[in-house]
Amino acid sequence: MFTLDTRSRVPIYEQLIEQLKMMMMREVLMQDDKLPSVRSLAQELTINPNTIQKAYRELEREGFTYSIPGKGSFVAPFQIDANKERLEMLKEDMEKIVSEILFLGGSKDELIQLIEKVKVAEREDAE
Amino acid sequence: MIKATTVDKKFEDLQAVSNLNLHVQKGSIYGLLGSNGAGKTTLLKMIAGIYKQDKGNITVSGHTVYETPDSKQRVLFIPDQPYFLHQTSLNNMASFYEKVYTNWNAKRFKRLTTHFRMDPDKKLKSMSKGMQRQASFILTLSTMPEVLILDEPFDGLDPVVRQQIKNLILQDVADRGLTLLVSSHNLREMEDFCDYVGIMHKGTLLFERDMDELKTDIHKLQIAFRKVPEKSFLDGLDVLHYEKRGSVVLCIVKGKVEEISSYVVSYNPAIFDLLPLTLEEIFIYELGGVGYEIRNLIVE
Repeated sequence: MFTLDTRSRVPIYEQLIEQLKMMMMREVLMQDDKLPSVRSLAQELTINPNTIQKAYRELEREGFTYSIPGKGSFVAPFQIDANKERLEMLKEDMEKIVSEILFLGGSKDELIQLIEKVKVAEREDAE
Repeated sequence: MIKATTVDKKFEDLQAVSNLNLHVQKGSIYGLLGSNGAGKTTLLKMIAGIYKQDKGNITVSGHTVYETPDSKQRVLFIPDQPYFLHQTSLNNMASFYEKVYTNWNAKRFKRLTTHFRMDPDKKLKSMSKGMQRQASFILTLSTMPEVLILDEPFDGLDPVVRQQIKNLILQDVADRGLTLLVSSHNLREMEDFCDYVGIMHKGTLLFERDMDELKTDIHKLQIAFRKVPEKSFLDGLDVLHYEKRGSVVLCIVKGKVEEISSYVVSYNPAIFDLLPLTLEEIFIYELGGVGYEIRNLIVE
């Protein structure tokens, strides 16, 4: 279910949080679905149960999950604006691309033209 | 759970451990790291109740261990060199353990023996180092310990067995709240296994920290400038290490990601990378800070 990169510099609990969030956004994990138990995940991935607990605590703190004592953690009602996060990511990518274009001698006007072109194409598609 | 306060231990002229404080919480996996000869094994043996400290206090869940049979039922130690009674097989050792340890779990012993494909009637001394180590894990885990102290536990085990044993231990941590104190030199391995680490050097503990906090608190910065600013630019950062290669600056910095980034960005770097450190790098830089750095020797 999970693939952890133990060579990565990113702490394991952060990787877990990212992957669980991704699953919720892509609706692999639906509202009120139960998250795997700490025990089973620790065994499956051979990682420290305290690490998993920490990831679950963090997810709950951020409002992605809720927990029922003695039963486990569950996916909270949908309130994450998945589009918003994706938009932020794309904007960041865009920034890098734009700065490369400008560095290689592209101009601002060319970029604006490009945007206009895409917009027109989209409108035609819609019609 | 495990608490050591101002512990001293001297062997004749050698001050092995001096004024050391250590805390391990219940259900935690604590990695004890350190330079060679730092006193790790001595400390572990004192906590396990094999050595008596000269000064200070060591308790495990509020009780002393040294010469306290009750505590020794619950605090198990696996030394770096496995030890068995003379001329015994795994079954012989099991019946010995059964008499000594009241919580002995015969069912578990049997399952583990079959699982690791051990011949329970073969003489333990004739087995390889790795097999002997497996045998000591089987015996120890069958006593249902509350605290497990391991000295270089995964030495000499192949990757498959290593993973299986870790998995068994982690199940006990998840199910029964087993507390683990592990010493190792394999930092790569400790990084994924422990949630708490302490680094020892020359008989004292340099620091003990939550592993994730440690990793998110020290960063490696790689910054390239079109025009390198004055060195005073570093004054705004808590720098542990600084290196300059041409127009690229490499430094190890303590602090929060957001604060460091916004500070560095205000100097208009051309390239700026902020990476968490690996445990190995933390180890090297922290020990470098106390004069135990890497000095490369070129031999002819």
